[in-house]
Amino acid sequence: MKLLGLALLAAAEAVALRYAVIESPIRHVLVQMPLLVLAGVLLVWNRQIRHDLAVPLLFVALTVFLFWMLPRNVDWALTLPGETVKYLSLPLMLGVPLRLSWPWLGPILRGFLKANALSMLGVLGFLYTHAPIRICNSYLLSAQQDLGTAFLYLGAGLACLWAIPILFGNSCSRRSNSTGYASCGV
Amino acid sequence: MSAVSELVADKSNATEPQAGAVKLTMILSGAVFALMMVFGLIMRAAQGQWIEVDPALFYQLLTAHGAGMVGTAALSGAAIMWYFCGRHIVLTAGIFWAFLALFLLGVALILSSIFIGGYGGAWTFLYPLPAISGGAWEAGAAAAFLLGYVSIGVGFLLYYLELGRQIHARYGSLVRALGWNLILGREDKNPPPPTIVAAAAVTIFNSIGIILGAAVLVASLVHLLVPGFEVNALLAKNLIYFFGHVFINASIYMAVTAVYEILPEYTGKPWKSNRLFAIAWNAVLIFVMAVYWHHLLQDVVMPPWMLVVGQLVSYFSGIPLIAVTAFSTFLYVRGSKMTWDLTSSLLVLSVAGWSVGSIPASIDGMISVNKVMHNTMWVPGHFHTYLLLGEVAMAFGFMAWLVRGKTIAQMSGLDRVAFVTYLAGAAGFVTVFLFSGAASIPRRWAVHYEEWLPHDRIGTLFSVLIVLATLAFVLRFVLRLDRSNR
Amino acid sequence: MLVRVLPSVLVASIGLGTLWHATDRGQAFTSEAARRLDAVRAPRPVPALQLEDMSSQLVPLLPQGDEVVLVEFIYTVCGDICQVAAADFATIRDQLEVRGVPVRMISVSFDPERDTPEQMAIYGEAHEADGNMWTVARPMSEDLPLLLELFDVTVIPDEWGGFQHNAAIHVIDGDGRFSAVFDTDAIDAVLAHLEERNS
Repeated sequence: MKLLGLALLAAAEAVALRYAVIESPIRHVLVQMPLLVLAGVLLVWNRQIRHDLAVPLLFVALTVFLFWMLPRNVDWALTLPGETVKYLSLPLMLGVPLRLSWPWLGPILRGFLKANALSMLGVLGFLYTHAPIRICNSYLLSAQQDLGTAFLYLGAGLACLWAIPILFGNSCSRRSNSTGYASCGV
Repeated sequence: MSAVSELVADKSNATEPQAGAVKLTMILSGAVFALMMVFGLIMRAAQGQWIEVDPALFYQLLTAHGAGMVGTAALSGAAIMWYFCGRHIVLTAGIFWAFLALFLLGVALILSSIFIGGYGGAWTFLYPLPAISGGAWEAGAAAAFLLGYVSIGVGFLLYYLELGRQIHARYGSLVRALGWNLILGREDKNPPPPTIVAAAAVTIFNSIGIILGAAVLVASLVHLLVPGFEVNALLAKNLIYFFGHVFINASIYMAVTAVYEILPEYTGKPWKSNRLFAIAWNAVLIFVMAVYWHHLLQDVVMPPWMLVVGQLVSYFSGIPLIAVTAFSTFLYVRGSKMTWDLTSSLLVLSVAGWSVGSIPASIDGMISVNKVMHNTMWVPGHFHTYLLLGEVAMAFGFMAWLVRGKTIAQMSGLDRVAFVTYLAGAAGFVTVFLFSGAASIPRRWAVHYEEWLPHDRIGTLFSVLIVLATLAFVLRFVLRLDRSNR
Repeated sequence: MLVRVLPSVLVASIGLGTLWHATDRGQAFTSEAARRLDAVRAPRPVPALQLEDMSSQLVPLLPQGDEVVLVEFIYTVCGDICQVAAADFATIRDQLEVRGVPVRMISVSFDPERDTPEQMAIYGEAHEADGNMWTVARPMSEDLPLLLELFDVTVIPDEWGGFQHNAAIHVIDGDGRFSAVFDTDAIDAVLAHLEERNS
């Protein structure tokens, strides 16, 4: 119940940003969209699924993730149909499947996904800070450069967040049971 | 099981997991080393005008030689470290096979991009060169080359993820595996052996290198496919050299585990981690990532402090290596009655070659010297020293050890001839490079002036010796593997 | 074994198919690339709008007779890209005049409130748009949203009281359809496109 409340809060928070995202791509891509994903994640935080569904669900999540990474869809998300699809697909087809499949993913696959996320944030930061063209028609060039910088900061932050437990040790990795289902979520 | 008993254990008692996969990898490495050396020989002979090679083909060979040698050095280093880490932690065989498969896929892509697509933009794929070939190759060929790197990078990422995961599982944290308890003087009942310290350090810095390398590779790919997306060229160069420097250094730092694990069999003294050893490896971890700026000393737009750091770290990065590995090797060898067979000779040679190779590197790392020397043969001279006499010698030493059997005997006449040929060839070959560099002969030129030909021709003769000795080492390995399997 | 991997393969294929489709077969990653591709694939009919030019005359947006109309969107006090684009537009005009290709070129203001005929005349004079082959014009305020939507031009206010917009050269062909988009500096591509159409 508490989680459902939190999920609704995240979703409401995202909808409240509806007008703020028109001006700032950072608020759009790095605040509103993650909040929508978070809403989906919280919605099914304690749910478990069968093992064999994990990989197909991961592919669903990856597809939706890549779809919203395309600059043209960030523009599209500011139109009414695009906005509707955004509000529905990000929680239900990215947050939910990601949370459901994550505990089943092996440590190598998780590490691979995390490393890829860091590389891709680097690429995005690289392109958005230096592209001489406007990548999204709906945003100013200066806002695009700010977004690129934000991608780089986010990448650096995530790198620290993910590296510190491995470097200095934590108890999380020990807590997976014999079925391969890890009880530790993150 | 204590570290001591692991190290002095008789070879037959030591666990040898995944030896088959490692042996296969070493056959592949040996074969590719030989092939790439032949490419090198062809380039030297063409520069010496003993044979005719079209300049376009020369640059394709140069690209293949660079990418092939860096890749194979890393592949053989990775196989060696995997093998010896298997003595201390349990590694999943599937990951190694996936690593090898992705590596071979990458090799196929790279070779076809070069010899079918005509890509000749050098192994450093310096932005924006892959996209502006002047008609020599299509964007598709450059893209295939970059995708080949991506495939190899993904393979290495899996390799390090597994390694990092298992080290973490066994030692609780990577900093403990890096020997921080030794450094801080805390008690550690199960201190990490040298191989694990090396593996932990390489896992950290090469993962960072690969992640940043992947970023610049994908950005270059995007630029190739959608030319409107441009990238800051200086930032791209920084990332490429960070990745390239870290990656090639990692190959030696992985292969050196062969020295830590094999030499104790000869000296009878276990190679143990101590405080100094751990400090040295932690220093290497930082230095190897901070020193890449010495590749950009000629880029006047770089912030001066970075170049100063590049020069300073160039000096210092030799110290932990020479003080610890080379000095310890010297002490171990001096105090013991070692039997000099092919394995021990090559391994001791490799430590010597690696250390000596850092001297011309430090010289080139000086800003004032670099301004005149960087585009001369001096630079291939220095990296051939620590690759040919260092990493490759480690790999050959490891191969000789794999097929040695339990008894250690003095070198046979044939082994002695092969070893001396290799030593003479390699030493002569790199000396010619260094002399040519001192004489201001430029590197990477397909066609040479008349006055330079004596250098090239002497170099060619020495490279013939290297190729012959390499063929002997590889054939010996394959024949003995066959015999020991029967 | 097959049964176990089948759902993953299926979902992965659908995912790749979706992305393939969403990028117009891997060709368009930005909305700008998408609109250019779409204009070529499915030319859009342009309504018969009247514009007011710099001498306060009404001029048709649609091509008359067998001519082709080139449109670029501007605002006259634009400080950066419009200035460069106007110079390129002038080069195209000169080239077409020499070759005798029947073309009319219009710089359409998307800021009709501020861009009065006098203001447009100043802009025209500055770039040698004399009103013969190339003129500067503004739409009726009520027509502007329709026009921007038809050409997929996004105009957003910038930090200095001006605008940023996706600048390009838009082609309205002889059949009155918006059928191609070019970069403002792609002079050779525009000329080649028009010659091909003419021959």
